[in-house]
Amino acid sequence: MARMIAARLLDAVPTVLLVLTLVFVALRLLPGDPALVVLGEYATQEQLDLFRREMGLDQPLLWQWFAFVRDMLTLDFGVSMITREPVVQLIGQNLPYTIELTLVATGMGLLFGVPMGVLAAVHRNRAPDSGVRAFSLIGYAIPDFYLGALLLIVFALNLGWFPINGGGEGFWDRMYHVFLPALTLAFVKTAFLGRLTRTALLETLGKDYVRTARAKGARENRVVYRHALRNALLPVTTGLGLSLLATLSGSVAIELIFNRPGIGELLISAIAKRDYPVIQGGVVVFAFFVVTVNLLVDLAYIVIDPRIRAQA
Amino acid sequence: MTTSRRGLLAQASALGAASLGLGAAQPAEAQAGPITIALASRAPTGLNPQKTALTGGDSWAIRQVFDTLVKAEDGTFAVRPGDFRPSLAEAWESSADARTWTYRLRRGVQFHKGQGEMTSEDVAFTYGRQLDPSIVTNQKALFANLERIEAPDRYTVRFHLRRPDPLFNGSMVTTLSANILCKRAFEERGAERFNMDPIGTGAYQVDSVSPAQGVMLSAFPQHFGGVAASPSLRIAFIADTTARTLAFASGQVDMIEGVRQPGWIPTIRQRAPRTIFDATAPGSFNSLHLNLTRAPLDDLRVRQAIRLAINNAQIAAAFSGLSVPMVGIIAPQFAGAVKDEDLPAELRYGHNIARARTLLAEAGHPNGVTIPCFTSQREDYASIMLMIQEQLRAAGINLDMRIIDHATMHAENRRDRNAMTLYSSSFPPIPWQPFLQQLLSRAQVKPDGRGGENYSHYGVAMPGIDAQIEKALDEPDFDRRVAVIQDIERQVLRDLPLLGIVTLSYVIARNPRVDLGFPVESGYAYWPLNRARRVA
Repeated sequence: MARMIAARLLDAVPTVLLVLTLVFVALRLLPGDPALVVLGEYATQEQLDLFRREMGLDQPLLWQWFAFVRDMLTLDFGVSMITREPVVQLIGQNLPYTIELTLVATGMGLLFGVPMGVLAAVHRNRAPDSGVRAFSLIGYAIPDFYLGALLLIVFALNLGWFPINGGGEGFWDRMYHVFLPALTLAFVKTAFLGRLTRTALLETLGKDYVRTARAKGARENRVVYRHALRNALLPVTTGLGLSLLATLSGSVAIELIFNRPGIGELLISAIAKRDYPVIQGGVVVFAFFVVTVNLLVDLAYIVIDPRIRAQA
Repeated sequence: MTTSRRGLLAQASALGAASLGLGAAQPAEAQAGPITIALASRAPTGLNPQKTALTGGDSWAIRQVFDTLVKAEDGTFAVRPGDFRPSLAEAWESSADARTWTYRLRRGVQFHKGQGEMTSEDVAFTYGRQLDPSIVTNQKALFANLERIEAPDRYTVRFHLRRPDPLFNGSMVTTLSANILCKRAFEERGAERFNMDPIGTGAYQVDSVSPAQGVMLSAFPQHFGGVAASPSLRIAFIADTTARTLAFASGQVDMIEGVRQPGWIPTIRQRAPRTIFDATAPGSFNSLHLNLTRAPLDDLRVRQAIRLAINNAQIAAAFSGLSVPMVGIIAPQFAGAVKDEDLPAELRYGHNIARARTLLAEAGHPNGVTIPCFTSQREDYASIMLMIQEQLRAAGINLDMRIIDHATMHAENRRDRNAMTLYSSSFPPIPWQPFLQQLLSRAQVKPDGRGGENYSHYGVAMPGIDAQIEKALDEPDFDRRVAVIQDIERQVLRDLPLLGIVTLSYVIARNPRVDLGFPVESGYAYWPLNRARRVA
């Protein structure tokens, strides 16, 4: 298994390098001069030149790229052009809020989505199945930023059950603050995982070994949960990985609406201000998450599927 | 035009806010804790007044923490030399040629946190950083006329200028980056630490700065103007319109920065009829540059047609009292502005579609013209340009307009890629500043991005106002200088390289439970809160 992990990590190296290069190129292609954004309309030409020199923006692009890759590989993300704070520090302040939101939303999605999928599959073409399918349709159809605004109005503003904004301090306060944003993201996730579980379980319930288990007199609950669901979890695991990454990217809009600190909100602001070091650092963190989640999904396969475990 | 996520969010916000009308009729009533104002910024970027890239939220905090040598009356702009009031300086005088300005400092003014007395050394240090070309500072260009500063004694400072400036207090003394720094604290802490833990003389001192909480301030008991009315303030940072509006509606914050977009004020009024809107006039100047190097804008008759087809009053009305139509380039509230009734008949354009069509036909465009251009997706830019587009269409002028990201728009404008450039700027109340920045030949925009903000190429593509501006800048008497500026206004109205469209106020929505202590009429986009208190 260690060899497999090492191979996967090696596979990730070109991916990360490609991401770094794409980010670098995209940022330089993007119109917008960081010096103008930072110094504003009352800057002198000398000041603009001085700023570009201090930030290395006056160097040839190829040199800038080498310096960028070198710095990234040594985990030197540089300093923000706007605040002059180290990018690592800015990411460190914001990332925990994004991870917290992603994990809680994913947990909620799993908590509601998988049982809903099982319910729908077990009661195929009956009322619970129709209900779950209708919910999935609604879940896919409502944009998360709109749902977030609605939840805010109903539960935070009119009912006053939850805070309007902020990230909270201390564990319980943070859980209190994360509930509504996580619920917003979990809505789509529940719909996705519910639908995925239903499809996978229906397929598995039609397999020969399930029929055999029933023929041997196994109780229905045992057939469903012991024999069928475990095998149905393989595609669900893949879906969960994809869903986790989607939640991470979806957190951008949600962090804005709920005014939560977070890496998404940090990135949006940095993009608007052409704060290259923060954007680059943020994207690298996202790339790291993609690689890590994919690796975790691969590892989960090994745990769930004995055939893959044997190959590994 | 594409619909942006920002636009969708704004619409969702408007929808959400409108739906609030079904609920309670007023923001929640009094709450304990500091008076809180939420600004449309993401997080504090720094509280050093000379730092670049400060956000609106930073500026609000800086205004409470620092003082300038002189100041305007609270809630106003000082637009004439006699309008200024003492602050850190108790008296000042100018030489006859308006090139030397001497200030006598108030004695015993204390810096926060036991950092000692403010003296001429601190003033010289503050302005010295603006003079030093090796230090990147905020608003550096505004200090270009400053030659040197001297501190003959502990309580006197003297400024020497390259050219006369009868409104020196407005040009270089009351602007944000002229707030006086504590030299000792700055040198001890270094720029980075001072940035987040600054020392000033203001009515409030900084307790903490964090992305989550914003800036927490507490009243400075030794402030020379007396102790602030409220013991604490919080400057919160909520960038998203929806989140900010909801925070206000729920009563979690006392004041929020408004959205300069048609329909925002009526939406808030629907929810909370008692909301007070504090708005500065003029706020930003919104002017339209016509690129004289691009056909058909090089033809005066086409420019006149555009002027006649744009209905400034109608655009202003769409902003529900936040906007005033402009006649010339200077906002009507500032010295030097011309009034329609004082202009000769040929310069009183008004709104006249038939005449616009006739002029277009005379210019060889009987079937109209199409002009490609772009503008920013920011609410104020997009709203104004969409209205202009609609008005011009009635005269047969079709704007083939793209709406793009704000930073991209600025970068593209600075590379001379736009034919019609809407430019929004909150100019200080210095009558000559808009001309220096936007119409001098040396400020001409250049394709390599190293030019200025003269997007029309006025003074290069055709004779401009350079000589008249030089004459104005050599005039030490304020009234005589203003008279020259008014001549320039008329010249610009004759040539039409740049059209004044509307001013657009900066607006703060305030819960009536907070009393500011003064009415807001004009001024910069931040004002003192030392007299603010809860009244309910």
